[in-house]
Amino acid sequence: MIRIATLAPLDPTDTVALVKSLRATFGLGTEHVGDLRLPRGGAKDGSWDAIALLGAAGPVLAVADDKVLFIAGAPLTLAAGPLGDPPCWGFAQYGGGRAIISLANLPERGVTEASIESWRRRLAREAVHVVGHLWDLHHCYDARCAMHPSWSPHLGPTPDSSLCTFCREKSERKIRLAKT
Amino acid sequence: MRGQPPRHPDDPKAELSELEGTIADAFALKPGDRLVYPAQGVCVVVGPETQEIAGQRLEMVRMKREEDGAAVLVPRGKVASVGLRRVASVELMDGVFHYLAAQLDDPELNWKIRHRDNADRMVGGGVLGIAEVVKGLHALSRLRPLPTKERGQFDNARHLLVAEVAASLGVAPGLAEDFIDYALMPPAGTRFKLKPPPKPILMPSRPPRRRYVVDDEGDGLDDLGLDELGIEGLGEEAAVEGAVEGAVEGAVEGAVEGVVEGAEGEAGETADGAEAPVEALPVPATPATRSPLKLVPALAAAVKAAAPVKAKAGPAQKQPPAAKKPAKPPAKAPAKAPAKSAAKKASKPAVAKKPAGKPVTKKKASSRATDKPAANKGKKK
Repeated sequence: MIRIATLAPLDPTDTVALVKSLRATFGLGTEHVGDLRLPRGGAKDGSWDAIALLGAAGPVLAVADDKVLFIAGAPLTLAAGPLGDPPCWGFAQYGGGRAIISLANLPERGVTEASIESWRRRLAREAVHVVGHLWDLHHCYDARCAMHPSWSPHLGPTPDSSLCTFCREKSERKIRLAKT
Repeated sequence: MRGQPPRHPDDPKAELSELEGTIADAFALKPGDRLVYPAQGVCVVVGPETQEIAGQRLEMVRMKREEDGAAVLVPRGKVASVGLRRVASVELMDGVFHYLAAQLDDPELNWKIRHRDNADRMVGGGVLGIAEVVKGLHALSRLRPLPTKERGQFDNARHLLVAEVAASLGVAPGLAEDFIDYALMPPAGTRFKLKPPPKPILMPSRPPRRRYVVDDEGDGLDDLGLDELGIEGLGEEAAVEGAVEGAVEGAVEGAVEGVVEGAEGEAGETADGAEAPVEALPVPATPATRSPLKLVPALAAAVKAAAPVKAKAGPAQKQPPAAKKPAKPPAKAPAKAPAKSAAKKASKPAVAKKPAGKPVTKKKASSRATDKPAANKGKKK
C-alpha cells in the first residue's frame, strides 16, 4: 500500500489525480492519509535537507511493506558529493519505506487546464520516481521512463509518469516478493 | 589473485592484476570487516565457522549481505579466487567519480567482446572496473537501447556501484545513486573540474579463439577410407558439390578453386563480423587465395544471382564438354555463355585461374545426371 502524507497544502483534485497515477503505475492500493505539519528546523532560506526532513516528518501509520510518500512545499537539498551537490527533486530510502518529494522544483501550476494538467503529470512523475526507489528501482537510462533522473538534460518538457518495460517488470517482481 | 578458470584445458590460466584491497589470505579477515563480494555486493564478515558438507569438513567464512542480511558462506580456500576485496577507499572513489564524469571514448560495439569484458570487469576489475561497465553501457545506451541481457548487466553493475559508493562514502544508497548520475548525466550547463582519472584495470587478455585449419577439404573424406571401397569418381563429385554449394552460399572462392581450403570459414566469419580476434592462420601462398575483403563485390553479386551462379557453376566444372572440343580455347568458353550477369563477370577471372588439375573427366560428367540439366539450362539461356 502506498500512503501519501502532505506537508504542504495540496488541492484535493491534485491529490486524487496523484493517487490514481500511483495506483495505475504500481498496481497497489494508494490513499491520502492526510496533512501533516512541517517540522521545525531547516535552513534559514526555508530549504530542508531531504534526509533530515524525511527523518523528522511526523509518524504515519503503516504496516510492513507499506510505502509512505511525503509531499513537501519547501525546497530540498542533499549533501555534497565528490563532484558537488546534485539537484534535489526528492529523496527515497532505497528499498525502504519512506520517500519525500518537493513541489518547489515543479513548474508553475498556472490556472489554465493545460498548465494544471502538465503540473499534475510532473508531480505524478516525481512521485512514481521516488516510490520506484522504494521498490529497489535504480535510475534508468531511458528518458521516457519515470526512473530517469529528474535533472537529466534528456528529459522532455512534459515527461511521462509510466515506467519502461524493464523497470515495470522489476518493480512487479519486487512487489510480488514483498512479505505482505 | 587468481582469475577466471581457463576456457580450454590447454589455455593458460588468466591472472588478474592486483587490485587495491584484494584479500589474499582468509585469515586476515576479522568479524566486522566490510567486504565487497563481486557477485553479491557489500557484506560484513560474521566470522569463521566449520561446516560439514557431503561428508567433508570445510572451513568457511560466514558473511552477511548488508542489503538484506542474507548469509553468504565462502570456503576459506576460495576467498582469494572469488574476488573478495575490501570496500574502496575515499581517494579511489574520488577517482571513480572523475572517471565517470570524463568524456568516454567510443564504446565497444562488438557485443560479444563487450559482454565478455564487462563480465570480467565486474568480477575482477574492482570498483573502477564496475564503473567502467556502468559508463560503457550508459554511453552505449545513448546510441541505442540496450539488449535485455545487457540491460540486466547494466542494472547489476549499477547496483554494485551504488552499494559500494554508499559504503565507501558513508551515505545512503539513494544519495550515492544521485552522485553517480550527477557525474554521468550532469544537468545542462554544469561543468566539472576534472582530475585525470585513475589508471584503468588491465584485464587478462583472453586467448584468441582457436581455429583448426585443414590443409585440404578432401582430407576428411580420405580419413573415412572411402577410397578403399572402390567407388570411382567420388572425390570429383565432392569437388563439384563443394563448388556449387560454395557459389550458392556466397563463398565464391569455393567455385574458384573448386574448392579453396577454408573458404567457407573465412567467408562465414567475415560476414559474421562479430568474432573475437582470431589467431593468424597459416595461409597458403597460392595465387588463387585472396583476402576475403577483395572478394566482397564478387560475393555480393554471386549471392544476388544465386540461381544463375549455380547454373554457371555447372559449366565451370563442366569444362570437360568444353575441353572435349580442342578448337575452343578455355578463355572463350565462359564468353560463349549468353547470360552475362554481374556474378558471371566476377567469376570470370576465377575461371581463368582454375588449376589445370581440376577439370572433371567424362566419367564424372556422365555419372552426375543432375549436372546435365544445369548445363543445359545455362546453354539455353
